[in-house]
Amino acid sequence: MAHLPVPTPCTLWTCFTSLDKDRSGTLSMAELQVALMNGDWTPFDLDTIKLLMNIFDVDRSGTIGFNEFSGLWKYIKDWQGVFLHFDRDRSGTIDGNELQNALNQFGYKLSPQLLNLLQRKYDVTASAPQTGGYQTAQPGITFDRFVRACVVVKQITESFAALDTDRDGWIQVDYERFLQTVLTLP
Amino acid sequence: MLSSANSYSTQHPASVPPPPYTPTPGRYPGATPPGGFAILQNPVPPPGADPKLWSCFLTVDVDRSGSISVHELQGALINGDWTHFDFDTVMLLMSLFDTHRTGSIDFNGFTGLWRYIEDWQHVFRHFDRDRSGTIDSSELQDALNQFGMKLSEHLLSLLVAKFASAPSGSEVGKPTITFDRFMRACVFVKQFNQGFENLDTDKDGWVQLNYMQFLTFIFSLP
Repeated sequence: MAHLPVPTPCTLWTCFTSLDKDRSGTLSMAELQVALMNGDWTPFDLDTIKLLMNIFDVDRSGTIGFNEFSGLWKYIKDWQGVFLHFDRDRSGTIDGNELQNALNQFGYKLSPQLLNLLQRKYDVTASAPQTGGYQTAQPGITFDRFVRACVVVKQITESFAALDTDRDGWIQVDYERFLQTVLTLP
Repeated sequence: MLSSANSYSTQHPASVPPPPYTPTPGRYPGATPPGGFAILQNPVPPPGADPKLWSCFLTVDVDRSGSISVHELQGALINGDWTHFDFDTVMLLMSLFDTHRTGSIDFNGFTGLWRYIEDWQHVFRHFDRDRSGTIDSSELQDALNQFGMKLSEHLLSLLVAKFASAPSGSEVGKPTITFDRFMRACVFVKQFNQGFENLDTDKDGWVQLNYMQFLTFIFSLP
């Protein structure tokens, strides 16, 4: 799951100002990084924070203002709800079956091979032997990477649909277009 | 560990800080010490092992399992700005050096990994012309050109945006890339190019994919 900054009671404004350590009036990437953590207290990974900033930094300043922050906050709360719903065994992470359930519910039917590939990409413990040793983390996908995995599947699907102009299930792309499409994914 | 060929000896692209030390005797083959000061009860290195590499391996292998996990590796590898390597880069390194697919890296794999990182450090230092400790857009362009992976301005800016440590914007400085993500960016372009070539069987610069192939291609990139 994820921890949101500052416990109750907390208005959005108090939270925002407490995170704005340099009193700039906006939140930088670094200030967000300090604030956002997974359920196991590991910080959100950089690419997830960049994803959040890409979605919510609407004026493209490279920082998050208060209005943008309220959108970001709600987005994370919504995803917390989703995560809690699919983390059936309450492990604090999303395993292969839970991921399959989540994607199915979102309308994505991926083959077992694709699901496995996705799991291996987003679950940092996926290839590790389950025989103990230095495993401070619960196996499964953490909140930050789960959000990113779901958004990636959604954006890949949308990109494919945009390219599949004749709706025949196949796309024809040249190098430039293909690389551009892939580079704009989170 | 790092060659001091440059004047900015405090700006290491990556180095291995020593983590806390809790040895567990007996986890290595042939290691049956009688007892005594813990710090002296080190497992025996394999014959011909570089002592410096062996000592580093032991330091990184915190739980003395005899091989290095994703988390141990992530704990050990840092950028010049002291941030840890991101997990996606660590997972890339695991995929390259976990030759037996055990999910961890043994000493053999570790020696390969070490050299790989050293090679990348040389590359990074060479292209970090302004000695900032990070790679900016024009430095990345030079690196890619030297690797024979020339990109258009448009694609280059997208690549930088994707691998930069922070989003760009009107109120922040230009985007730059730390050592870990620089390695991953270059490998990403290389693997994309190889994948595209494999699909472009008639070499006309176009590929055809269905949805599943599209997903598989993208999920296989670092």
